[in-house]
Amino acid sequence: MTDKRLPATASAAAQLRHEHRKTLSELERYKMLVENVQDYAIFFMDPEGYIQTWNKGAEKNKGYTHDEIVGKHFSLFYSEQDNLDNKPARELEIAKRVGRVEDEDWRIRKDGSKFWANVVITALYDDDGTLQGFAKVTRNLTERKENEDRLKNANVILQEKQIELKRLNESKDDFISLASHQLRTPATAIKQLLGLIIEGFEGQVPENILKIAQKTYESNERQIAIVNSLLKVAQIDSGKVVLQLETTDLNEIIRSLIAQYNGIIADRGQVISLALQDAPVFGYVDEEYYRMALENILDNASKYTEDGGVLSITSSIVDDRAIITITDTGVGISPENMATLFEKFNRIPNDLSHKVPGSGLGLYWAQKVIDLHHGTIKVESTPDVGTTFTISVSRGV
Amino acid sequence: MRKILVVEDDPILRETYEIILSTQPYACDFAENGSVAWEKCHSNDYDLILLDIMMPVMSGIEFLEQVKAEQDIVSKIILMSNLSAGKELERAKTLGVNKHVLKSDMSPSQLISLIRYEFEA
Repeated sequence: MTDKRLPATASAAAQLRHEHRKTLSELERYKMLVENVQDYAIFFMDPEGYIQTWNKGAEKNKGYTHDEIVGKHFSLFYSEQDNLDNKPARELEIAKRVGRVEDEDWRIRKDGSKFWANVVITALYDDDGTLQGFAKVTRNLTERKENEDRLKNANVILQEKQIELKRLNESKDDFISLASHQLRTPATAIKQLLGLIIEGFEGQVPENILKIAQKTYESNERQIAIVNSLLKVAQIDSGKVVLQLETTDLNEIIRSLIAQYNGIIADRGQVISLALQDAPVFGYVDEEYYRMALENILDNASKYTEDGGVLSITSSIVDDRAIITITDTGVGISPENMATLFEKFNRIPNDLSHKVPGSGLGLYWAQKVIDLHHGTIKVESTPDVGTTFTISVSRGV
Repeated sequence: MRKILVVEDDPILRETYEIILSTQPYACDFAENGSVAWEKCHSNDYDLILLDIMMPVMSGIEFLEQVKAEQDIVSKIILMSNLSAGKELERAKTLGVNKHVLKSDMSPSQLISLIRYEFEA
């Protein structure tokens, strides 16, 4: 029932609406359209700029009723300064000459408040080419303007903050650099003075005194190493490191690294197993920095492996990459610690971390250096079994 | 006997170098800044100068600039500072020094080896 009745009713209503529309002339429809538009102030002015019509949008935006404003001059909506500058007359002049003028600026409401307006004034000529007046369409864009201004201000503040941050960062780098250099001086004196005892410059020294001197010397060496790490990190963080990249045989770097490191590793009862590709493994690296990065990773592997463990190093070329792996039989890294492995000053707690010294800067620095080479460091680890670091850089040409 | 001038502003380090070098067959002189070193260089002929960089009154850099400008000092010069990077070090390297070493890297015997090596080279 309902289904049948509804279309019939709807159709009757449509018919009625059609009849009603037919009774309105085209002119009346235009009048209705313009008068009832709420979002735009639309009105007609005579050739001198005196207001002739007024719509709902104009009343809403500017605050004047139809009776208050009709017959008044449109310069009323302009600021005092704009009027002193003769802006209303100039705009009419342009519209007269080129047909229309568009402006975005502040306009004044009846209550004296300002709103940001987009204004288009169109000159209206009749068929004989006689100027009949002007159509003025105004849109209130205050909200958009305020958003734009807020964005602009936020950008200015952001830029200022950026400059401030850069300055602070530079001053931090300078501070670390200066403080570290200053710390090196007393550490050098301690090293030299204790060195006189340890290296026999002062003749035979009682065993117990020698032992104390040696321990103090070692401790001082650690302090120097921390200062050196801090400086290296400050330098790489400041972006001042420029690599001297050259095609270099990575096998040779590893061999010289092992020669330098063998003593320390032997002291720990550890064994190095080398499986280097027979042919040279050329990588495009800065020899000094790349070597230090490998040294940090190797040092890390050795430190976190119990005495008597094995460190394996391999080299190979895979596609366009030169790849080194360093594998240890150490304490390993748990999955939850893996995420923070390369963070600055991060030392992962494990069975050995309380025994071995470290600044938590070695792997951070190594990662930064390999990043600068556009290379990667991958880590695979099983707790209590061991860890493999895979360092990949671009192959040399 | 070879003559060495050590230019170092830190009094403890100066004294330490004096102890170390007194064990060796060299005639050693000491200066606490570049200005004193400059004067001493004009009344002595040193075979080797160990030069610090950051010093008051006249820095190692300013000393090197004067040496370069006057060209009447022919001593070998080793920079011995605790700077491992930076503008000063880069500048120093352009001013004709034979070598740069980090003070905190060297034990007494390493310092002696360094000097011997330089004389034998």
